[in-house]
Amino acid sequence: MMVDALRGVSFAVEAGSVYGVIGRNGAGKTTLFRTIAGILPPSEGRVTVWGRVTPLLSLGVGFNRELTGRENILLGGLAAGLDEETVYEHFAEVEEFAGLGEAIEFPMRTYSSGMFGRLGFSVAAHLNPDILLIDEALSAGDAAFRRKCMPKIVELCERDCTVMIVSHGLEFVKQLADRCLWIDRGEVVSEGPAGDVVNEYLAADSIDPTSAVALEDV
Amino acid sequence: MATAQPPRTPLVYEPTETGLPLLRPYLRDLWARRNFMWHLARTDLKAEHYDTALGQLWIVLDPLLMAAVYYLLRTVVRPAGSSGVGRNALIAHVLWGVFFFTFTSNCLTAGARSVMVGKGLVLNASFPRALLPLVAIIKASVDFVPTFVVYLAFHAWLGQPFTVALLVVPILFALQTVFGLGLALLFAPLMVFYRDTGGFLPYLTRLWLYLTPVLYLVSEIPPNLRPVFLVNPLYPFFGALGQIFVGAVPSPWYLLGAAAWAFVTFFVGAVLFLAREREFAVRL
Repeated sequence: MMVDALRGVSFAVEAGSVYGVIGRNGAGKTTLFRTIAGILPPSEGRVTVWGRVTPLLSLGVGFNRELTGRENILLGGLAAGLDEETVYEHFAEVEEFAGLGEAIEFPMRTYSSGMFGRLGFSVAAHLNPDILLIDEALSAGDAAFRRKCMPKIVELCERDCTVMIVSHGLEFVKQLADRCLWIDRGEVVSEGPAGDVVNEYLAADSIDPTSAVALEDV
Repeated sequence: MATAQPPRTPLVYEPTETGLPLLRPYLRDLWARRNFMWHLARTDLKAEHYDTALGQLWIVLDPLLMAAVYYLLRTVVRPAGSSGVGRNALIAHVLWGVFFFTFTSNCLTAGARSVMVGKGLVLNASFPRALLPLVAIIKASVDFVPTFVVYLAFHAWLGQPFTVALLVVPILFALQTVFGLGLALLFAPLMVFYRDTGGFLPYLTRLWLYLTPVLYLVSEIPPNLRPVFLVNPLYPFFGALGQIFVGAVPSPWYLLGAAAWAFVTFFVGAVLFLAREREFAVRL
């Protein structure tokens, strides 16, 4: 059985801006990102991309669990499309940001999922593309590391590159994104300035916008 | 916000009906990813046999034990000497036969699985998918080299002749690699679209082994079965190798046959793979 994951979704993202994508689970957010990244071909319509896209859809893409964390930094960077030189340029930063201490020398099969996520995020966060697609899954690890991730994502959004971010953290989208797309079951519900779209979304889901919990993670 | 200068030509993604991707940009992308390809192969090789006491020795030990078992089987069914073949010559034949056959069957098996195994990469990163079967072939080829060195040691120990004809072996190996890559490109999409392919593969390779002069010599093939061998792609490879390892000059017909099978398989495999690779992510 074939299901249309996205139908009639049409929008443009201005170069250098931050674009939020919101919607419930299964709305088609990840499918949309995979289409923009050229991973899934559209069955109809067209995607035009000006620049090199780096999709951050999942942590630790290309990692081999039998190898040490250090070896996986190179492998993960190459998997994301970087050349070897660029990976080595950022090697120390990545290692430092992950903060794994001597565990960086151990094979990754000995890592907890949190540690895996930390190294995965660290590699992802130090890539330098024209267009960055961030799936919220990126914030992983313990509370302390999450606190460290958020400013890093903010930093990524504030850079020169165009950023598209999928997030359930609505306050986050409101704050960072210039415009926002709300999709539900593969179709556009609303598109416009981030603040307006987020408020509409909250109103539709009858969530009290003043509730801190709602804005943190819906 | 300041903006980086956008590139002059955009990437356009449209529905798949268009068929084959443009070859030149595709190959350029593949070339740009060569470091990734190499590291993926290197780290995979390193990770294999990681936990075993004998470690990388298994690369050689595996086909060697296999050859020992098959030699035993052969002597039970038809002892050396029964068809005018000396024992040493038969041992040498079974050894190189098993080694070269294992190479092709590794290319087929690992190549067929390559896209399935690389699911995480296929779903989360964008790169020319042919990179995955290529990695499988690089690994199989790197694994083959020490096996061949071990064979040469046996070749000498068993008193088999060393002649100039041995210089043709690298050429045949190169053709066999092209053939293996063709098989990988052909079977990887089959595996993605029809998962049952994986279930049939072990039986297919086993049957193929018995229909290839690995456990017996070309001269032992019954005349009424000859037509079967003419459609076996490995037959010209093993015919030529059989001549080379007993010190004869390989027949040009075998070499031409091997080259023809290698390039036709590669061409058909490449067309099928490239025409279908954009759908992989949908099917995984």
